[in-house]
Amino acid sequence: MNRRITITLLLAALVAVAVLVPAPLSAQTANAVKNWTPPKTADGAPDLQGVFSTATAVPLERPRNLGSKEFYTDEELAARAKATAAQAAARANQAVDPNIVHYDLGQYGLNQRVTAESNRTSQIVGPEGVIPPILPQAQERVNAKQAAARGHNFDDVQHRSLSERCILWPNEAPPMLSPGYNSDLQIVQGPGYVTILQEMIHDARVIPTDGSAHLPSNIRLLLGDSRGHWEGNTLVIDTTNFTDRTAFRNSGENLHVIERLTRTSGDTILYQFTVDDPTTWAKPWSGEVSWEKINSPIYEYACQEGNYGLPNILSGARATEKESAGK
Amino acid sequence: MRTKFAWFTVCAALLGSAQVWAHHAFAQEFDEKRPLKLEGTVTKWEVINPHSWIHLDVKSPDGKVTSWMIEGGSPNALFRQGFTKESLPVGSEIVVEGFQAKDGSNRGVGSNVVFKDGRKLFLSNTGANGVPSGGGGDN
Repeated sequence: MNRRITITLLLAALVAVAVLVPAPLSAQTANAVKNWTPPKTADGAPDLQGVFSTATAVPLERPRNLGSKEFYTDEELAARAKATAAQAAARANQAVDPNIVHYDLGQYGLNQRVTAESNRTSQIVGPEGVIPPILPQAQERVNAKQAAARGHNFDDVQHRSLSERCILWPNEAPPMLSPGYNSDLQIVQGPGYVTILQEMIHDARVIPTDGSAHLPSNIRLLLGDSRGHWEGNTLVIDTTNFTDRTAFRNSGENLHVIERLTRTSGDTILYQFTVDDPTTWAKPWSGEVSWEKINSPIYEYACQEGNYGLPNILSGARATEKESAGK
Repeated sequence: MRTKFAWFTVCAALLGSAQVWAHHAFAQEFDEKRPLKLEGTVTKWEVINPHSWIHLDVKSPDGKVTSWMIEGGSPNALFRQGFTKESLPVGSEIVVEGFQAKDGSNRGVGSNVVFKDGRKLFLSNTGANGVPSGGGGDN
């Protein structure tokens, strides 16, 4: 088994190496990006439509050893790509514990994804580059939640996560970070609306851009309530009215997210986000990532229809309980 | 023409710890202490999300046939690599390696699926620029 997995990983690494090596933007290309004017829809709004990949090689938080360094130079980026490729190839040559690697890379297409290039060292912008520490009151909230769940994680369906139950995947509510695999979304526009459909795991955010106000504060939604407006060629989306179940990085229901989507070329959207929740963090924090247009449709995911995993997990938990009781 | 990066950070992360990418609580569904190696004939391939499931009949040396279900990758990702519903026809003879369900039933998660003639199901034939050049498993 070890040998087979090793071969698998080696092939995956070779594929990755083949597509990895970047070329720096030529001055001509950089100029073209700067002077690029986005097309307009029939009703005159900037046209953001298309299918985009949110996959990225840039981590959300900056590795600690980089300190306040926000960007790699082109040379550093190239060297880093080379080193990562060599490291992956070396790891692929080692025997891999099959208890850890139970899927092949290829099963998720992870060896074939392409992403927009970026010199950023983290998606989170600014000198800190990491999520600020949560406030003591937020920590208390998190602790209380964990304490209530302890020992009951597998009691029944209601105790399992929203993602495991095919209700909400973390990428669907803003900010829309890459879900890890099948990182694709489609933007569709109509007069007064922008809709963003996420492949993982099914949700469409229907965002009015007609100047209408947010829902009353007593109506709370897993995806929050999003309202958009245009600032030049940028779509700005303001989202509030979350529930405490969405809990983005320990946030509470007071989460407030502002997103900015700007098409920077025919193939790329710059996605910027600012996250705020005064009951969780002392100050707002922001990030950005580029999405690359892909020549592929979105596929239906229909997570709930095939979710054998959930009953299997509960059945496994019952078996474990029986085993423990017998000891 | 811009050059694009492979999604490499994630690949590296996956090499270190695959569980994070599974849809669910792997440790509670499958048992790493029960490794499996099954040789059998495919009776059905459910191409469903979040995971595909391969059904196969396994014949023991005494002739007894047992039916098994094996969990595989997300169909969306497989489809983008060139797999289709026809990639694993009923009657295919395959060898599956993986781990059995924690409740002891005839279910498991597949780590490898190999056809009798050596072709691998979950590795596509990769052409230029990482684009699959054809249907499943022509390695």
